[in-house]
Amino acid sequence: MGNLSLKLFGKTLKNPVMNASGTLGYGREIEPLWGVERLGAYVTKGLSLKPHHGNPTPRVWEERCGMINSIGLQNIGIERFFDEHFPFFRQKKTPIIVNFFGFTEDEYIACAERIKPHRLIIALEMNLSCPNVKKGGISFGKEASTVYNIVKHVKRVTKIPLLAKLTPEVKNIVEIAQAAYEAGIDGLTLLNTIPAVVIDTEKKNVAIKGGLSGPLLKPIALKAVHEISKTIPVPVIGTGGIMNHMDAIAFLMAGAKAIQVGTATFVDPYTIPKIIEGISEYLDVHGYPKIEDIIGIAHG
Amino acid sequence: MDDIEGKIVRNDNIVSNYYLLKMKLSKPMGIVKPGQFVMLKIPDNEVFLRRPFSIYACSRDLLTIMYRVVGRGTAYLSKIKKKENTFVLGPLGNGFHLKEKGNHVIVAGGIGIAGVHSLIGKLRGKASVFYGCSGRDEVALVGDIANLDPRISTIDGSYGFKGNVVALLAKHLKSIRRNNVEIFACGPENMLKSLKKLINKDKIPCQVLVEERMACGLGLCFGCVRKTVDEKEPYKRACREGPVFNLWEICL
Ligand SMILES: Cc1cc2nc3c(=O)[nH]c(=O)nc-3n(C[C@H](O)[C@H](O)[C@H](O)COP(=O)(O)OP(=O)(O)OC[C@H]3O[C@@H](n4cnc5c(N)ncnc54)[C@H](O)[C@@H]3O)c2cc1C
Ligand SMILES: Cc1cc2nc3c(=O)[nH]c(=O)nc-3n(C[C@H](O)[C@H](O)[C@H](O)COP(=O)(O)O)c2cc1C
Ligand code: FES
Repeated sequence: MGNLSLKLFGKTLKNPVMNASGTLGYGREIEPLWGVERLGAYVTKGLSLKPHHGNPTPRVWEERCGMINSIGLQNIGIERFFDEHFPFFRQKKTPIIVNFFGFTEDEYIACAERIKPHRLIIALEMNLSCPNVKKGGISFGKEASTVYNIVKHVKRVTKIPLLAKLTPEVKNIVEIAQAAYEAGIDGLTLLNTIPAVVIDTEKKNVAIKGGLSGPLLKPIALKAVHEISKTIPVPVIGTGGIMNHMDAIAFLMAGAKAIQVGTATFVDPYTIPKIIEGISEYLDVHGYPKIEDIIGIAHG
Repeated sequence: MDDIEGKIVRNDNIVSNYYLLKMKLSKPMGIVKPGQFVMLKIPDNEVFLRRPFSIYACSRDLLTIMYRVVGRGTAYLSKIKKKENTFVLGPLGNGFHLKEKGNHVIVAGGIGIAGVHSLIGKLRGKASVFYGCSGRDEVALVGDIANLDPRISTIDGSYGFKGNVVALLAKHLKSIRRNNVEIFACGPENMLKSLKKLINKDKIPCQVLVEERMACGLGLCFGCVRKTVDEKEPYKRACREGPVFNLWEICL
């Protein structure tokens, strides 16, 4: 059996497969089908300093090659997450990555300060697709200088390894990743959803404005993973349109140390366990003793 | 609950664009509560997400849903032939909460009958049923409930009471024993709104089954929320905390 385990930020994960933030609830919801202990690590729903109600409906819309969501980051806040849900992961000994966001730089800093190191917390993942209310709602991840500053300031207040999750809606994503690296980032998650709209042709208006996820994202995310993992010496986690184990393997070959599965779980709730088994089989069939043997082999 | 393979054994047109789909499941679904639903995989590559449908009836490994063709997914569904296979994830959601005793009044409009069909079955004639549809043809949708003497309204007056089902209920409301009465409703948003208006003065206990666009059906995405009067957590998931809500706790 191929060895799926890997080291990330000095900790051992049993496999490179995670859920993408916001696509596996608070973790318990999937219990009737399979348990979060199967994951390499559970990534939390995006958490904020205070509970956040999110957007009115419609929040989800189907497109031919994916979906658009406008959940608006509804969440119960960091404090309640750690009171109500963290014990569940502790009991299951499941490593977690805490995804968090804010609407000002100070809110990001306050979030990171609030989260105390714990052996099960592998990393913090800052969602940089959030609108910066002090900059007219432009997302934090759009300007290299903003990214540099926010990473620098968040790094200062936490000892937990820090991942930056980048938005694809930028001129040059390598430049953004470079800015995060110079500010001391420990790793990168690529990519978040692509801003998109749907027009309701009957009502002649905008039906939904939100983030596009699913299969359409895959080649775009692969390019980002391939280029960035080649040039920037920190671990990269790949996400975007992974629907099966061969998609996952493409990301690993492109240079991702681990992958995250989002939308595919809505299409088939067993996608994640199937991907874990599929990767393991792939290693066996192709004679790779360990997962690390395929990471980045497409770099040439 | 599980994601279960189902072979289509029946997919019949009942009337106009309404269909009854029966599947033989590869294993039993387990205990199903009235008001629960499934996420059905539409076996077409063009249809990305699953579709939510109320469990119309379920016994051991036979599952029935009743659906109305409204868009791409249901249009494809209506063309599926017998023997094709698909997947159903369920049973999902909370379902109706039934007290031991009580005077049950069931109100359904249009395809809303699908949401309360198994509830009516469970109450075995001990409920007063009000059903509204657009015209005489659609009265066929009451199916096996017909022998429970439902009160029926049609918008065009071609059968039963002329008008909508809430107006019909209004006519009978006085005669329904107020003692321990509880209403269970499923139908278009406008029906639920006028029902709320009708019983607002007396605040009669009422559970409603609501529809929201869904992606996962499992509580994973927070896409299907319904706005409630709970100021601390105004948005509740229709697939998990619902799809049945206390009428007095949601915003309509
Ligand atoms: C809990 C629940 C139970 C339901 N039970 C039934 C039932 O028993 N019989 C029945 O005919 N219909 C039922 N519906 C509505 C049914 O899910 C939609 O009519 C169906 O999804 C439409 O799919 P479509 O591809 O034909 O339409 P499209 O408009 O092409 O679908 C596009 C997207 O919008 C969503 N959507 C469109 N209309 C609705 C709607 N009214 N409610 C929720 N999502 C919608 C679809 O799921 C899909 O994701 C129920 C909905 C919910 C939430
Ligand atoms: C319903 C939904 C909710 C999401 N919520 C978050 C979130 O809270 N924080 C975040 O960083 N990304 C969020 N995302 C983005 C995903 O984590 C992921 O980056 C993206 O969907 C691409 O992966 P996929 O194509 O596999 O879904 C969300 C995506 C979806 C579909
Ligand atoms: S449909 Fe995903 S949470 Fe309800």
